[in-house]
Amino acid sequence: MKCSLLVRRAAPLVALTVVAATIAACGGGADGSAPAGAAGGPALSPAKPVRGGTIEYGHQQEPPCISGGWVEQAYISRQVFDSLVSQVKGGKIVPWLATSWKASKDQLTWTFKLKPNVKFSDGTPLDAAAIKTNFEYWLNPKTLNSTVADYVGEYYESSAALDATTFQLKLKKPYSPLLSALSQGYFGIHSPAGLKRGVDKECVDPIGSGAFVIQKWSRGQNVTFVRNPNYNSPPANAKHQGPAYVDKLVWKFLKEPAVRYGSLTSGQSQVIYDVPSVDWDEASKKYQVLRYLTPGRPQTLSLNVTRAPFDDVKVRQALAYALDRKNAVKSAFGGAAEYNGNGSLSQSTPDYDPALADAYTYNPDKAGQLLDAAGWTKKNGDGIRTKDGKPLKALVIYGAGSIINADGATLLQTLQEQAKQVGFDLELKPLTLTQLFGGQYSTPDTYQATPGYWTSPTAGVLYIVWRQNLKDRPNYNNSAFYNNPELEKTIEAANSTLDPAEQKALYFKAQKIISDEAVAIGLYTRTSSLAIDTSKLRDVWLEDSQGEPVFSDAYLVKQ
Amino acid sequence: MTGTVDIRVSTADAVPSRASRRSVTGTARRILFRLANAVGVLWAAATVTFFIQAVLPGDRATLILNQETGRAVKRTAAEVAPINRRFGFDDSLFAQYLHYIGGLTHGDLGTSYQLKQPVTTLIADQVGPTLLLTVTALVLAWAIALVLTIATAKRGRIRSALGSGFEVVAAGLPQYWLGVILLVVFAINLGWFPVEGGTGLSGLVLPALTLAIPLAGFLGQVTRDEFEKVLDQPFITSARARGMSDLDVRTKHALRHAVLPAITLSGWALGALFSGAVVAELVFARPGLGQVLVGAASARDIPLVSGVVMLVAGVYVVANLLVDLAYGIVDPRLKDGAS
Repeated sequence: MKCSLLVRRAAPLVALTVVAATIAACGGGADGSAPAGAAGGPALSPAKPVRGGTIEYGHQQEPPCISGGWVEQAYISRQVFDSLVSQVKGGKIVPWLATSWKASKDQLTWTFKLKPNVKFSDGTPLDAAAIKTNFEYWLNPKTLNSTVADYVGEYYESSAALDATTFQLKLKKPYSPLLSALSQGYFGIHSPAGLKRGVDKECVDPIGSGAFVIQKWSRGQNVTFVRNPNYNSPPANAKHQGPAYVDKLVWKFLKEPAVRYGSLTSGQSQVIYDVPSVDWDEASKKYQVLRYLTPGRPQTLSLNVTRAPFDDVKVRQALAYALDRKNAVKSAFGGAAEYNGNGSLSQSTPDYDPALADAYTYNPDKAGQLLDAAGWTKKNGDGIRTKDGKPLKALVIYGAGSIINADGATLLQTLQEQAKQVGFDLELKPLTLTQLFGGQYSTPDTYQATPGYWTSPTAGVLYIVWRQNLKDRPNYNNSAFYNNPELEKTIEAANSTLDPAEQKALYFKAQKIISDEAVAIGLYTRTSSLAIDTSKLRDVWLEDSQGEPVFSDAYLVKQ
Repeated sequence: MTGTVDIRVSTADAVPSRASRRSVTGTARRILFRLANAVGVLWAAATVTFFIQAVLPGDRATLILNQETGRAVKRTAAEVAPINRRFGFDDSLFAQYLHYIGGLTHGDLGTSYQLKQPVTTLIADQVGPTLLLTVTALVLAWAIALVLTIATAKRGRIRSALGSGFEVVAAGLPQYWLGVILLVVFAINLGWFPVEGGTGLSGLVLPALTLAIPLAGFLGQVTRDEFEKVLDQPFITSARARGMSDLDVRTKHALRHAVLPAITLSGWALGALFSGAVVAELVFARPGLGQVLVGAASARDIPLVSGVVMLVAGVYVVANLLVDLAYGIVDPRLKDGAS
């Protein structure tokens, strides 16, 4: 219970409103979940909380729209929106806009009881009808949120407002990760009156019921939020109920790592995102550092099974054995990322199988034997193995500066060198944002391997990533183009059961198939971090579903 | 074509003598030519930018969808259809081009694909800080170059060498590198200037220097050559013989001759600074067109990129017109020579 800490610190001195609000929060039985990941930095000394003031936050990337289906949009739209539920450590779901929920026996009907008297910042009521409007908006082809569709599109049947505070969701087939999926920022509830203004307006100035309201977006610079004075719908895991303590939040886009960190050290920001790896040690000593190991799909090298040489499972396994991934990750990232040997799920995902982390420990001899067995026995003048006169070559494409940052590129180069030792010729091809997102490197004939990740609070993401890519049901998220009906069925069964033990067994089985087939080689867990100058600002936290920074509980302190 | 009408009226009004009449029509023709030239440059800029971006590999609708979800996948026909319809990507390339140019003729630069706002609004919001930065940088560059030339050209071997040495080094400095060094030393370590987003005067100093120092080196090199030549001219000797002080000789006589080549360069420099501002704005996280342009280019946001490119082209055109005017002021002989 973090909130009790605040009371202790706050009680002797402070403005009554703060104390009252805090006590209300604790009295309400909030399940204050500690931010995910390790917290570092100096011990907190008692400080005087101040009501009001401005939080200056140095973020990194600027999304094209504030709301949408990208994690960068979830980060920022979280300040404006509330969701139905929130997820805490270990995958437990706690109330938010929904105070309780129930699934029917066949799991096809979900009924949510909503918090009464919640209003959007435009004054319109947040009721069951509003939530129905949101679901229909996300899944309407004209206003599609494709990430929402990836999660629930195949399952969604219809939604209905039974009364003002009872919302009902009907599914076509059972979907047990539903609540986890709903806890993500993509599922934040928009004001229907706001949605009526059209997608263009919604992109720039979405209206929600959250702790902050957008005041101004200066493109390329920052988004200024002001406090929503009527905020009455924080999640149960918030550190206090009621409106935010601060008046303003300035969300700055500082892409250059040196500028971002410099902004913190010079005092222009009290908190920054993504601590640069070169400054990691210093930051951990001087500031409070929150680290969030992103759950979902880790950074993984997908091997395209439709083309030589990775159409042969022996060659795929050989590559996995040939790479000393653990040490390569350590030397490339230092403390800024963790090695993640399991290629299916990251270590912070519920139902992650830790045993698979060591399925392919570094063993160049074994790699050589596998390649020999696969017929890649000869070597050419450059030390590259050959078979029928053809070299053992593979094109590895990666989004430079987007999917893979500078440290990640260093890692790929190290792996390239290691692969060469056993006779692989990996050609690395960095792609610009335009090339990457333009789709011309997204089809089976354009690459042999590619790294990628997918932020998700549930192992249910396996269905999105590994569902088969079929003619009538294409799935281009399956970047290994690996079609395995058994794997799909296993994940589908896991996504359908509410029995936790059975679900775990099925997810484990799916991870085992992916690991045995070596279609995805695990590299590292994507990590996001915040560094906070606690001499100025306290109680910023990262929520557990996606690592969205939460500022509604944060307060400035007198120095 | 209001320009034509105005000019005709003015030529008809003023017909005092054959000689001046010829000169007035000459001026009119020159202005007309200039205008046509400017329109031509803008049209070419718009056309080239449009086609380059339109024919680059990769599907534009896919790009828009993938950028919105941070994903690199192929999109199904059902997914791209609404986007294609909305932005007219289904039409033939030529039809899209005509539509775009048609919009331009009445001042409509279109709506950004990514940012969903009119391009004119986006540019209007951001152009102020960029203009301020580039003009400040140009003024600073001139100040540095002039002080350096006057203080060191032909002032003994060591001083001359120091001056021209500085110019050579400065002219070769990459802006990005220089910006980062200035940032780390003066903003982060010494704390003399704000690290990011400084909108006041103190926030302008380092970004302006980032652009001004390499340009000063360049302008200085050009001016120094000319300056040294002029100082050997007989009229300088006669001015000195009249008892004029060395500083007066340098600033009043020699400089006027020596700055002409650098003025010519300034037209180009203003345009170059405008595009170079991208770097300074990025490094110092300053408001301006830079960040918008980088984002738009990587998203192949044709209306927005074209809009910014046309603005830069416009700046070049205007800057070169100003340079022409400045010629006349610095060297009145050029005015007569024109007709």
